[in-house]
Amino acid sequence: MAGLGRIGRRELLQGAAGAAGLSALGGFRNLLAAEGAAAEGGTLVVGEGFDITTLDPARTLDLTSCMVHLATYDTLVTFAGEDLKTPKPLLASSWHISRDGKTYTFAIRRGAKFATGRELSADDVKWSFDRVKNVKGIAAFLMDGVDAIAVRDPQTLIIQLKAPQPSLIPILAHPSLGVLDSKTVAERGGNASPDAKTLDHAEQFLNQQSPGTGPFILQSYSPSNELVLVRNTNYWRGTPTLARIRLRNIQEPASQQLQIERGDIDVADTLGHPQAAALRGRPNVVVKTSPSATTFWIAMNMDPTLGGPFANPKVQQAVRYALDYNGILKLAGAGAIRLAGLLSPSFPGALPASAAVKTDQNKARALLKEGGMTDVHGKFSYPSGWVRYGVQIDPIIQKIQSDLAEVGIKMDLDGSPIVTAKQLARSGKAQFMLYSWAADYADQDDYLVFLPGRLVGARARWTPDSSPAAQEITRLGHEAETETDDRKRVALYQKVDRLFADSSPFVPLFVPAVPYAYRGNVRGATYNTMWELDLYAINKQG
Amino acid sequence: MRLAAYLARRVLLLPLLLAGVSLLSFVLSHLVPADPTAAFIGPRAAGDPEIVAAFKHEWGLDRPLPQQYAIYLWKLAHGDMGMSIATRRPVEVDLRERFPATVELAVTAMAIAVAVGLPLGILAAVHRRGPVDEAARIVSLLGVSMPVFWLGLVAIIVFYAQLGWAPAPGRLAGDVSSPRPITGLFVTDALLRGDLPTALDALKHLVLPALVLSFYSIGSITRLMRATMLDVLNEDYVRTARAKGLPRPAVIVRHAVRNAFIPVLTLMGLNFGNLLAGAVVTETVFSWPGLGQYAFQAASSLDFPAIMGVGMLIAATYLTISLLVDLTYAAIDPRVRVG
Repeated sequence: MAGLGRIGRRELLQGAAGAAGLSALGGFRNLLAAEGAAAEGGTLVVGEGFDITTLDPARTLDLTSCMVHLATYDTLVTFAGEDLKTPKPLLASSWHISRDGKTYTFAIRRGAKFATGRELSADDVKWSFDRVKNVKGIAAFLMDGVDAIAVRDPQTLIIQLKAPQPSLIPILAHPSLGVLDSKTVAERGGNASPDAKTLDHAEQFLNQQSPGTGPFILQSYSPSNELVLVRNTNYWRGTPTLARIRLRNIQEPASQQLQIERGDIDVADTLGHPQAAALRGRPNVVVKTSPSATTFWIAMNMDPTLGGPFANPKVQQAVRYALDYNGILKLAGAGAIRLAGLLSPSFPGALPASAAVKTDQNKARALLKEGGMTDVHGKFSYPSGWVRYGVQIDPIIQKIQSDLAEVGIKMDLDGSPIVTAKQLARSGKAQFMLYSWAADYADQDDYLVFLPGRLVGARARWTPDSSPAAQEITRLGHEAETETDDRKRVALYQKVDRLFADSSPFVPLFVPAVPYAYRGNVRGATYNTMWELDLYAINKQG
Repeated sequence: MRLAAYLARRVLLLPLLLAGVSLLSFVLSHLVPADPTAAFIGPRAAGDPEIVAAFKHEWGLDRPLPQQYAIYLWKLAHGDMGMSIATRRPVEVDLRERFPATVELAVTAMAIAVAVGLPLGILAAVHRRGPVDEAARIVSLLGVSMPVFWLGLVAIIVFYAQLGWAPAPGRLAGDVSSPRPITGLFVTDALLRGDLPTALDALKHLVLPALVLSFYSIGSITRLMRATMLDVLNEDYVRTARAKGLPRPAVIVRHAVRNAFIPVLTLMGLNFGNLLAGAVVTETVFSWPGLGQYAFQAASSLDFPAIMGVGMLIAATYLTISLLVDLTYAAIDPRVRVG
């Protein structure tokens, strides 16, 4: 970036808070003062289109918030780099799973300290998890399978599940399950009791401070402008190389492109594909794409009163064969992968792209004729002007409309603003809709929402009793989510994926790749679809 | 006395007008066929009735609409504009941060527009069909027809990316701290704090977005000034002033411009109000954290408290500007009597 010049400190935003507990924050302030004085290690400037509603881990799943939480709080387990398959120990140095798959015993690492200097214990983990569950915020579902959490001793945590749930370990890597300093947060209005949804008032505090064990500490946050992190010199994995990280709110991808070319930012995190293409080959700029776990698909309504002709399985099949998937992939941007079933290819058990339905417009016409549907007319709903992970939806919509018209399916476009489209998607009233699902956590289980009767499947009015295939996929899905043997689990998911591809009211389209760029002197920048950048892994040379 | 009574009347009307605006904003924003829970709650949470109920209760969305409006008015009367659902901060804190950014940009853009547009329009009329007039026509045509988004991006590409004359988008350089707020205007606050380097940095960042934003106003002011000047220059009193032997500059400035300026003043007031309402596109392109961006994000996500707050602020701004324009009319034109 441009030369450092004069470095000042931003004033900490002071929210409404009681005077009590300020002494507990003395440790924070000493650390911040030390960081302000010494900036060896440099400053990393990240251009980011802010997606932050709140910095309270229990109340958000926003991507930018997750990136900040990954840097300021530690979870029990984590993933490295782009990987979503192999959970690694973090605050949990090891774990044991009972034979029935319902009891997980975690050994909590010794020596991990909060920024205040207090040592982390299993009580903090229990408190943090209970808070997430009981605040009933947007992240509460992560604890849905948990029956009880117990602390055997300061270094041992036991999680009791309602049923076997092999996805628990990957779920525990989610940044919203970062461990908070329970003592400090409780002093500032935090509450983890069953009545936390009315008794917890720690959100304002957590929007200004980060009482975690993470490698960085939140120094300041201005929603319109910038979020600044300073390094935690007491970090148990080793002090970060970078002294300071500035996340600059740059909403316009073209602006990020220009700024990274000029060197005014070090990493451009929310580029579009056109900007990434323009940056390739530019001196001193590295452009990469990272596979996302977000799936794009078409949903057809199986209720004849809502879906009309699209409730007919023959028409659904015809739609599958009618689409020019190669053409759609080109519009989805560099690195996009064909989606064959319900699972993102990032996860074991997913059908490979080679197993996906191939375009066959003659077959599509034949299916329509078989079903006695020669003149199919419908309404194609979608979020107009939507850009997600660099993918511009409108050209894809027009492409699909054109492909369907070639086989005799005429679609009227019905675009609406994203907030209206979201509501339509959730209402289950759309006849024919393009939408996407972003994985909430790094496990195949997350995609079971597409099964008959479950969250997304129900929106397509797909019920377990709608067909023998629906019954079978329902049974297989339930087996897969409770199967504790990895190999059997993968095999079950392969069957689920195949059935889904062949007989669901969904047309899997693609999984986009996320473009990002960084300056040539930046090392270790990788993008993970769950939390964007791992800021601890990044350093700058020169 | 008349002026004082007029002012008092206008000021007393303000709360009534703002109440009307608040009702209109409330009704219109709730007419949108979407639920804010869709914007703020993830799909899984949206499937859990307990979480949805907790969210609605937290934000007062589970109350009947008339009750929601009454509560909002009651709090507003006590100086509380509510909490933004999107930022989780008091709306007035957000507005206090955003509005000065827009004011700084708007005032600078307007100053440029007036400094360029007025003289250009006058000269174009005085030297009709000459090179200045031709240049003024081109400038005004370009100004009113060039899309701001395109112009902004081109300006950034040319002046920032290619030539390096302009700094990176934003209000300040990355390594410069914002001055401790007095007015919220970075240039002003830095100067008041005696921090010249920060003031210069803020000014450097202000130039390009202000220039881009001023283009439309330059175009429209030039055009209208030229047109009204041409009308006035043909009036009898101007001919009389010339016949009386007054020097040409005196005829133009003291007689023609003063009369021609009156309709342009209305235009300037309207343009300034539009600028203060926030230039979403310019702010997005230049990463300028102003009111326009905030309003757009509030509207897109159905952040009702923020929508209401922005509506009230913009309404108050327009009403204030309208009052100032009326008072300026009276000052310029002795035929106009306020009250």
